[in-house]
Amino acid sequence: MNTTNNHRNETIRKLLLRLELWFAPWLLLVPLLVSLVFIGEWYTKGYLTSSPQYNGTLLLGLLLLMGNLVFDIPFLRSLRMLKKKQ
Amino acid sequence: MTSSNKKSVRVQEWFSIMAFSATTAKDALKLTRQKMTEYQTEFLERLNAIEVDAHWFRRVFHTFAASFLFYYLLPDEQWINQGKIIVPIIIVFVMAVVEFRRIQGNLDHNRFFGLRSYEKKRPASYLYFGVAVLLLFLFFPQQIAIPCILCASFTDPLIGEARYYLGKKQAYIIGFFVSVFFFMITWYQARWEILLVISVLGATGAVVGEAKKLRFIDDDFMIQFLPALLLLIVWQGLLVLGISILPPRLIFPI
Repeated sequence: MNTTNNHRNETIRKLLLRLELWFAPWLLLVPLLVSLVFIGEWYTKGYLTSSPQYNGTLLLGLLLLMGNLVFDIPFLRSLRMLKKKQ
Repeated sequence: MTSSNKKSVRVQEWFSIMAFSATTAKDALKLTRQKMTEYQTEFLERLNAIEVDAHWFRRVFHTFAASFLFYYLLPDEQWINQGKIIVPIIIVFVMAVVEFRRIQGNLDHNRFFGLRSYEKKRPASYLYFGVAVLLLFLFFPQQIAIPCILCASFTDPLIGEARYYLGKKQAYIIGFFVSVFFFMITWYQARWEILLVISVLGATGAVVGEAKKLRFIDDDFMIQFLPALLLLIVWQGLLVLGISILPPRLIFPI
């Protein structure tokens, strides 16, 4: 009974870790894409037309990009460690 | 054998039995302790391995939430505007159903990656986060909603990390200034005195929302909702007096 439970818990743990690996690209790429869209919006509608109205969009785009990169790097490092462990 | 001799033999026997049983009990206790320590170490190692991974997973989930700001880039058309209301409600409703089933025991708690142990018998923080974002999207202008979402996305994990390395007090001070920065970015087009008051008020709300641990409401909700509520009260209060403090919008639909 105990062995079965342990085996079940181990399977769940592996599934969860696989789920994390499956989620990782989304967690990393979506914010980067969104920040690029923000910067693109500023470039096409703000910079090319010399409209200062879109400066806020640029600021947010940069903030999203930098903020995500700061946390993405240790996350990727932890994933690498995880793969090594496995 | 005299009665005194018999007595001394019995005493000797009793002592030898006691000594023997004491040694055995000691050995058994030692062995059990050793086994328990080994088990504990192994268990903690496993737990730490999962916790470390879940730790960064949780942090990145927070920063990922900043991309919800894409909501304000969605085109301004009638059917999309309806979707802007209906889709977030459906998403949060599905999350609530999943959480309800988990708490009821129909879904295994272990199957949810990154949940904290205290979230076992109450809704998990991602639901609180979702509810707060939904309320901000539906009932608050973007000038108020954006910095609050940014606080939940970046200030919260930053405070978490800083708390670990620098201690609580320093972490909240850093969190405060980072939040001030977010409010300043969003309100940079407002008059400077308004910018200052709003930034300080909003950042205070965010840090208090994060610092104050409530039993049934998660800090992921409070860090967004408390500053939003404070700013809403100030904005509406001043509007009654005929003063409009809201700056122009920051994000325009594509």
